[in-house]
Amino acid sequence: MSRIGNRIRRLRFDHGEMTQEELASRVGCTRQTIIALEQGKYVPSIELAFRIARSFGVTLEEVFQYEAES
Amino acid sequence: MAPLQKRAWYSLIIGIVLTGVLVAFLVIKGDVTAFFADENMRYILYAVWIGVPLIYWILVDITLRKPTQIDERDKHIIEKSGKAQWMAVVFSLAAWTIALTEVYREQRQVPVDFLTLILVSVLIISILAQSFGILTGYWRINRDV
Repeated sequence: MSRIGNRIRRLRFDHGEMTQEELASRVGCTRQTIIALEQGKYVPSIELAFRIARSFGVTLEEVFQYEAES
Repeated sequence: MAPLQKRAWYSLIIGIVLTGVLVAFLVIKGDVTAFFADENMRYILYAVWIGVPLIYWILVDITLRKPTQIDERDKHIIEKSGKAQWMAVVFSLAAWTIALTEVYREQRQVPVDFLTLILVSVLIISILAQSFGILTGYWRINRDV
């Protein structure tokens, strides 16, 4: 699994239970990519990461976390 | 399933069917030279060889232009599949070159009918390799990152 974690699923529910389809449409990607992101199976480009953060009105680090190896 | 993944499955099936049709034709006709002897058949086949890749290219282009159909993850997979496609084409051309050189070395000439056969086989291999590359790309992403 990726060492880049994210809170997309949590943020979706906090924003009126936004659907994956709705988020995908807002940020300009497919629903399959949102699913892959939530499952930690895909690391987005910086651009897509910013678009996701902005769609929730939060900073990048409130969405994505880098889990450094100890 | 992602739209691109679906398209890759369709392409894979089309590639396998085309391979089957080609092999069946060759088995029925028995000889490559007899296969292209009929003039009308030859012109029809020329149209097919140009038409099929053109339609395929247009369909791919239409898919790639739709933002709801394809995104950065899909584009990344397509880019990677290009490597598999390129390798498959190069190896198939190498195989043709070696085989024809070994078979027709004594005669010092290769029947012209093989040109069409080489084109068709490379087109089919290209379609199969790209589809396989795309499907492998999705499989890898879904497995782990």
